[in-house]
Amino acid sequence: MNNREIISTGNDLSAIAAVDAGCMFFGGYPITPSSEVMHTISDLLPEVGGACIQMEDEIGGVAAAIGASMSGVRSMTATSGPGISLKAENLGLAQMAEVPLVVVNVMRGGPSTGLPTRVSQGDVAQAKNPSHGDYKSITLCAGNLAECYTETVRAFNLADRFMQPVFVLLDETIGHMHGKAMIPTEEEVKAGIKLRKTFDGPAEEYHPYGVEQDEAAVLNPMFQGYRYHFTGLHHDRNGFPTEEIETCRKLIERLFHKVEAHQDEIDSYEEYMMDDAEIMIIAYGSVSLAAKEAIRHLRKDGIKAGLFRPITLWPSPVSAIRKYTDKISKVLCVELNIGQYRDEIQRASGRLDIEGLFKVNGRPLSPYEIVNKVKEL
Amino acid sequence: MARTLMRFTGVGGQGVLLAGEIFAAAKIKTGGYGLKTATYTSQVRGGATVVDITLDDEEIYYPYANDGEIDFMLSVAQVSYNLFKNGVSEGGIIVVEPNLVKPTDEDRKRWKIIEIPIITIAKEEVGNVITQSVVALAIANTFMKAIDRQVLIDTMLSKVPEKVHALNKKAFDLGEKYAKEAGA
Repeated sequence: MNNREIISTGNDLSAIAAVDAGCMFFGGYPITPSSEVMHTISDLLPEVGGACIQMEDEIGGVAAAIGASMSGVRSMTATSGPGISLKAENLGLAQMAEVPLVVVNVMRGGPSTGLPTRVSQGDVAQAKNPSHGDYKSITLCAGNLAECYTETVRAFNLADRFMQPVFVLLDETIGHMHGKAMIPTEEEVKAGIKLRKTFDGPAEEYHPYGVEQDEAAVLNPMFQGYRYHFTGLHHDRNGFPTEEIETCRKLIERLFHKVEAHQDEIDSYEEYMMDDAEIMIIAYGSVSLAAKEAIRHLRKDGIKAGLFRPITLWPSPVSAIRKYTDKISKVLCVELNIGQYRDEIQRASGRLDIEGLFKVNGRPLSPYEIVNKVKEL
Repeated sequence: MARTLMRFTGVGGQGVLLAGEIFAAAKIKTGGYGLKTATYTSQVRGGATVVDITLDDEEIYYPYANDGEIDFMLSVAQVSYNLFKNGVSEGGIIVVEPNLVKPTDEDRKRWKIIEIPIITIAKEEVGNVITQSVVALAIANTFMKAIDRQVLIDTMLSKVPEKVHALNKKAFDLGEKYAKEAGA
């Protein structure tokens, strides 16, 4: 595993990963700092018989990607925060109708057009609920170059497993930094591909949404002999709109439960020097790189700090978080936003005394800022 | 080797990004670690651009240069020079394009300031202004001795089209020559 060396950027690695994972369609609209994902995949997809289309705007981009997915192919879009805001309505449709899709968001300063070329982690809360209504987001966050690749691959498999959009959060720093990544070979990735379930029985017995309460819809590719209705309205087992009380309740509860019941398949996190840690730093994305460097400095000064780095941000790895927050009194959440994930750490840990170090001016947090904050605790 | 931190600054459109990628790739080729980050403004042309290059034998996590720790800076624009010079350590080397950057007397006491007309060299001696990033690459490496010369040249040539190999090799040689004349 991870014995292919590649020198690249996070954005390019994400595009390469998508194609290796069998993605055959990209619909999007370029936006800084994510544009290179689209640029690179527009070169790669035609080589494997796939297609990349630049639509008239971000809304068209995700709509095209959803359409491609409905026809059965692995499909993707990439953007940054302002693009997610525009795509929100269609992302809600994909949650409701259960369309697998990978959405890469390379985060920049917000709200609105914000700081286009600068780093931020301001879209973490947005990723949990980009659209109105109840559903359970799956959001992965790359913390180094290699993970821009591996998390994109994982996102495709999770999207097909749970039949819903899966977010891959990069940030401007990770997306644009250029260096060495050790990643799995293309053959290893291909061997690990798990495509969505399909139904091959008699057409009259096919009920795409008539599944167990902890399972995802089984959507056969359209135009292949199995007919069903596709809608954003509450729908019955065949996809037709309904307001029947129990059907509506069960549908939305299932959207939640299909993820909650299988969280062990989704959880992912890294523990760095946590074995003997007396101070727990929680960071994700590019901030975790500064945190690791800070921990090296702190350890030299005799301060036993460790890093807990969630890789799956939503749903949060609650039991792993609690394992440490139950026994370590000093917990510091470091983020390039004003505590969007600290709120979740508070909820997961049941503690209101989680410290925070936050920055929102588009500049990265340096290791020394973290060192100084830890020494103040 | 201890960590080497270099910073290239200019304005958007000058092409200061490429030298950083070449440095990182060359260091990785020798079995080490190299990272390049670029920070730029949302202006298409003319905004201050900074490229940080970190080279180390050990794994690098944080990809930016910490202020005050930079060993070497090269600047081809006054606006970026002013913004980023304070990242350079006391006594560190700053190479400036003297036609475009005017350091103060105070700056000259604080850092070792070297004046090399990088853009004029690229434009007039090499014959193509685009080669300034290769001139800059050679100057930086001649001062810092960060990478084996031949590895760096090979890496550089692998990143440019074959038809301009001779031109870029000439740019590298000229950068090296000027750096040596300036005391590297």
